[in-house]
Formats: sequence, C-alpha cells, structure tokens
Amino acid sequence: MGSKNPHHGLTPGLALGLALAIVLDTLAQLLWKHAVAGLPENASIQVTLLAALDQPWFAVVIGLFLVQLWNWLGVLKHADLSFAQPITSISYLAVAVASWWLFGETIGPVKTTGILFILAGVWLTSQGPRNTRVESERTR
Amino acid sequence: MSSMELGIVLVLLCALIEGFAQVCLKKSAMLVEGRVAWIATGIGFFCIEALLYSIALQWLDISVAYPLGAASFLAVSGFSRWLLKESLDARRIAGLGLIVMGCAMVVAQG
Repeated sequence: MGSKNPHHGLTPGLALGLALAIVLDTLAQLLWKHAVAGLPENASIQVTLLAALDQPWFAVVIGLFLVQLWNWLGVLKHADLSFAQPITSISYLAVAVASWWLFGETIGPVKTTGILFILAGVWLTSQGPRNTRVESERTR
Repeated sequence: MSSMELGIVLVLLCALIEGFAQVCLKKSAMLVEGRVAWIATGIGFFCIEALLYSIALQWLDISVAYPLGAASFLAVSGFSRWLLKESLDARRIAGLGLIVMGCAMVVAQG
C-alpha cells in the first residue's frame, strides 16, 4: 500500500477534473432538489413513485452521478484523496450560493459560518495519514 | 415532530447508511473472497440512502440537506474505526468536531 505515490502537482487535466467534480456535484444536488419539488405533496407512496418515474429529472440526476463516478475515479488516479477531497468540498459552498440564486433559499450568516466550519472540518480530516501504516510519505 | 425535523433525522440516517456503505466498499477492496457480496451490499445501501434523501428533500432546503450530509464523515470515521480498526488521530478528531459544529449551525438557521 502506498508504494505508488501520486504527486501533488496540479496539471491542467487534474484541475479540469477537480473543477468538473465540483460542477457535477452542484448540478446533481440542485437537479435532485428540483426533481423532488416536482412530485405531488402528501400523496401515497404508489402515486409518488409513479410520478417519480414520469419525472425525467431523476434520470438526469442518476446520469450525472454516473458521470461523476467516472470523473472522480479519473481524479483519484492522479491525486491523493487527501488532496482532492478538500478541494471538491467547495461544492458545499457552490450548492448554497446556487440555491439562493436559483431557488431563493435563505443563506444567513449562521448557515454560511456553518458551511465554512464544515469546509474546515473536511480539510482537517482529509489531512491525516492516508494509511494507518504509512505516515511519512507526503511531500507537499 | 415537524416535517423539517423529520427531514433532518432522515439526512442524518442517510449519513449513517453512507458510512456503512463506504465500509462495505472498503471491505470489498481489501478481501479476495466475498468481494461481490460486499460491493452488492454497499450499492444496496446507497440505493436506500438515495431513496431516503429524496424524501428528506421534500421538506428541507438543499442548502441545509447537502451540508448536513457532511455528517457522513463522522459515520465513515466511526464505522472504519469500529469495523476496520483504522486509527483516528487528533487532527482528524478536531476536523470531525468542526463538521459537527458546522452541521449544528446549518440546522440552527434552517
């Protein structure tokens, strides 16, 4: 484990992959919310499920997740998870801003601070040793 | 329970399921035998999670539900410590603490 150490150099391809990961995450969340909002309220499970099958946005969301998986595996081929994960957690911020802009959701100071705490937390948790046994390999 | 509280509970449940599903995937990557079973179990749990998250989104703003999903970091750490005997260093524990505080603030504002 850890014999091959992908270095941290940010190549144009990797930067594109990371940017795409953020965009896809954000888009998937927004469309998921949009798709759910289109379902009938307080309907039976049967009616809701039929409505969901009729709602093309759910298929789009599933498609986005598949593309995201493919892109993410590509990113991880060229970067450590501890490098990629904190960067893509920017999508927490992107989703909040986009939801305010597109859906008119409230983003007050408390929520903003909370999201920043989460970003800092993700950053910290991602920096630990990658492998329980391998501790002194990072070069950045 | 208000529908918003119900949504919050559902997203936290999703985070718990996510943690378990991730451990299943890790198991499948570690083992030689029973790989497919672990992958199938992981994917099964992801599907349940997607269903519950969809229900939660009926009641929650996406700017609440999505960041709250970061609670999955807590679940992943907990399950991997418990079931995979992975270690948790002080830095990671501090990070998880920040995530918990962040989630609390996101929920507090609503």
